[in-house]
Amino acid sequence: MVDDLIIGMAGSGGDGIVSAGESLIAAATMEGYYAILTKSFGSQIRGGESSCRLRVSTRQVLNPGGMLSVAVALNWEDFLRFGGELPVGGKTVVVYEAKTGVAPDRLPLKGVTPDTVLAVPIEEMALKAAGTVRAKNTLVLGLLAGWFGLAEKSILAGIRKKFGKKGAEILQGNERAFLSGLEYARSQPLREDRSLQPVGAGNGCKLLTDGNDMCGAAAIFAGCKFFGGYPITPSSEIMQFLNREIWKYGGSLLQAEDEIAGIGAVVGASFAGLKAMTATSGPGMSLKSEILGLATIAELPLVCVNVQRGGPSTGIPTKAEQSDLFSAAFSAHGDAIRPVLAPISVEDTFAVTVEAFNIAEHYQTPVIVLSDQEIAQRKETVNRLDTSRFQILNRHRPTDKERENYVRFKITESGISPISQPGMPNGNYLASGIEHNEKGAPTANGEIHSRMNEKRLRKLNPLKHRADLFQIEGPDDALVGIISWGSVAGVALEAVRMAQAAGIQVKLLIPRLLYPVSEEIYQDFFASLQKCMVVEQSHQGQLYRIIRMWVQVPDDFLSLAKSGSNPILPEEILERIRQLAFSLQRHPKVEAAPDLG
Amino acid sequence: MTNDNPETVMAYTAKDFRSELKPIWCPGCGDYGVVTAIYRALAAVGRPPHEIAFVSGIGCSSRIPGYTTAYGFNTVHGRALPIAQGIKMANPDLLVLVASGDGDGFSIGGGHVAHAIRRNIDLTYIVMDNQVYGLTKGQLSPTSPRGAKTASSTYGSLEEAVNPLLYVLAYGAGFVAQGVPADMEGLSKLVEAGIRYPGFAFINIQSPCVTYGDPESQLKNQKGKMRKLESEGHDPTNRLRAMELAQEYGQTLYTGIFYQDPASRPTYTDEVLRRQTELKPEALPRDQILSLFEPK
Repeated sequence: MVDDLIIGMAGSGGDGIVSAGESLIAAATMEGYYAILTKSFGSQIRGGESSCRLRVSTRQVLNPGGMLSVAVALNWEDFLRFGGELPVGGKTVVVYEAKTGVAPDRLPLKGVTPDTVLAVPIEEMALKAAGTVRAKNTLVLGLLAGWFGLAEKSILAGIRKKFGKKGAEILQGNERAFLSGLEYARSQPLREDRSLQPVGAGNGCKLLTDGNDMCGAAAIFAGCKFFGGYPITPSSEIMQFLNREIWKYGGSLLQAEDEIAGIGAVVGASFAGLKAMTATSGPGMSLKSEILGLATIAELPLVCVNVQRGGPSTGIPTKAEQSDLFSAAFSAHGDAIRPVLAPISVEDTFAVTVEAFNIAEHYQTPVIVLSDQEIAQRKETVNRLDTSRFQILNRHRPTDKERENYVRFKITESGISPISQPGMPNGNYLASGIEHNEKGAPTANGEIHSRMNEKRLRKLNPLKHRADLFQIEGPDDALVGIISWGSVAGVALEAVRMAQAAGIQVKLLIPRLLYPVSEEIYQDFFASLQKCMVVEQSHQGQLYRIIRMWVQVPDDFLSLAKSGSNPILPEEILERIRQLAFSLQRHPKVEAAPDLG
Repeated sequence: MTNDNPETVMAYTAKDFRSELKPIWCPGCGDYGVVTAIYRALAAVGRPPHEIAFVSGIGCSSRIPGYTTAYGFNTVHGRALPIAQGIKMANPDLLVLVASGDGDGFSIGGGHVAHAIRRNIDLTYIVMDNQVYGLTKGQLSPTSPRGAKTASSTYGSLEEAVNPLLYVLAYGAGFVAQGVPADMEGLSKLVEAGIRYPGFAFINIQSPCVTYGDPESQLKNQKGKMRKLESEGHDPTNRLRAMELAQEYGQTLYTGIFYQDPASRPTYTDEVLRRQTELKPEALPRDQILSLFEPK
């Protein structure tokens, strides 16, 4: 029995591999397992090769995993096209279409000899059971259910639901294909039991979604009433979700003529008093940066989601990267800080998006949410969140008394000035991108400019003390530390847990707030450390460098950074942690000799 | 958005819409006349200042919201229209005015005009067209005539001018007019008619730049040059004729309404409201929104 199973499948466009993955994850979710499904396609808009990775576990998982436990190849050309995304190791069970004619001891896999290789006449069996080769994917579901104890009942229920609408013949054909796969697997058991443990009691049916839909749902929960945006991969599903839902809540949505108009309408809606959001990816973020500056100086709340992809420019639109952190932090013109938050998983996207609205509204500032393609487009099981534990903040409105002689940009102790909106009597003011005095009148006076800059920056200071936006795992006094963010943090967390289980003392810091940099929280984390490594998916190691700009770092402050589209595996981080821990033993830090002079 | 309640209509004078800020425009600038015409039009329409959102871009003309008592938003170059659309969608009850110059409206922000028109957002778009960039001190503008010598076209412009009237007519604007500050009475009436028009209304105002503009197009010459469309017998419901007349942009100074769609079209925010009302019964309680993600 195993408690964690990673299945990788690949086939050509019509094979229904991704659809099989979706059936499997839905079934696993209903049975109470934790699971993550990532899909990958060739560059064709339709057709071509496709693959998916499904990780199913009895414990919560925050990344799609490394080496495959099971590899399913409907043909080898398509499987091999996905190279590093579907890594096969010695312990991987390889299941493939016998019709390919490849001998089990001559697999086209370089440098590895898997110990279990099963050539199955998938197409032939599907044709026999269902009368059509289109049932191949259903047959594969039967094989997987049989060999790995996977959610048999729920899969069958899913098949009935999915094919029930398509007529008795198709439904029965698929049922027979599933059972045929199941029987085949049972009649030829694996040498070693690799089936998945049942989930513990109390692990009921979970929710299932991806990061983009979760972001949209969180926006609605937070009270977002306006969305303006423009389609761009991999963020478009946020707009698509809200386009289905936001009207029901009295909100509205504008698919604008371009990225600039999208965020322009959002600034307008915010000026008119609504919670508003836009979403984009790297290139769109560049287009939006001028209006982000306007929102900063006019002190208007808004949430701008950047679902990062490989860049610069068109880059690799369908793969994740964490290379827009510099852009989020530094693309502002003028002296501006826009708070930058990053979720680490689909589930976390809810809390982070709600928090983004809270910060935006409370501090009257644009807030950038840095999601990435991995989180945004993978399907993940989500615990049933108790939404009552999320607080929702609204902007400070001026009282009737404050509006008797209204001063929109009043310099207050907190730096936050109550904000009115059109329609509110006596709240009239001029919002502007031009520098202004407290009443909103345009000015070119250097002293006023300096005071207003100070106010706009000072109001964000409390964010730097928000310990709740930083997660620390591991003992306080560890000598080795890891820092990681976004989707990669889920990989780092697993590596750190593996290291801890192996007796290595290591701790992990996951910042949800990336900017402004919280000197204090990093400093506290560094206090016990002799070695620290920042793990992230960008060529330059952008968080690593941003931390160095603000914080006194440990002597051995290292970066593990890779360009996007090259998955960082838990095993890889674990290996680096091991090296760091062992190097401490080889080169113990010598205390400085006391100064006797 | 109009207010036909006679009590409120009577309640305001032009002065109620004038703010304490002193305009930074040069003496003799056409924009003084434009803002006065706007005060008068707003007084005639009679909505209280706090129910008006006045949005602008960047340029001399775009200082205008600050000179009114309305809620003003002096935004960034070229983006006044998208921002104004967000405001109108957020609160359709507001009276939304947008002002910009020829650079804002037909160069850097030119791409937004077509889309505001095809959505038929109910707002009034006033362009102060002076054929030059004044705030940046005299460069070529999209409506500068071919051959114009400016700070950035020392040897003369090599481009044809954009024709703003023909542009908006071609995209299907339901209200298209042109006015001049020298004819204060006529201009105030045009702005008022634009505001009262329930849909996207475009008013091109030939507002001369006294510092960098063509000496021939100054205020003192406008009265002599202008030809009132009304006196020419133009039927403002005739769109094709309006397009013919608009071809003369840059040669003949027509004033008045080129085109006003006699049919009533649904505005964008009418449709938004209808959709919101239709779909409201399907809303889950906000705190149960995650139940959309039950596995299927």
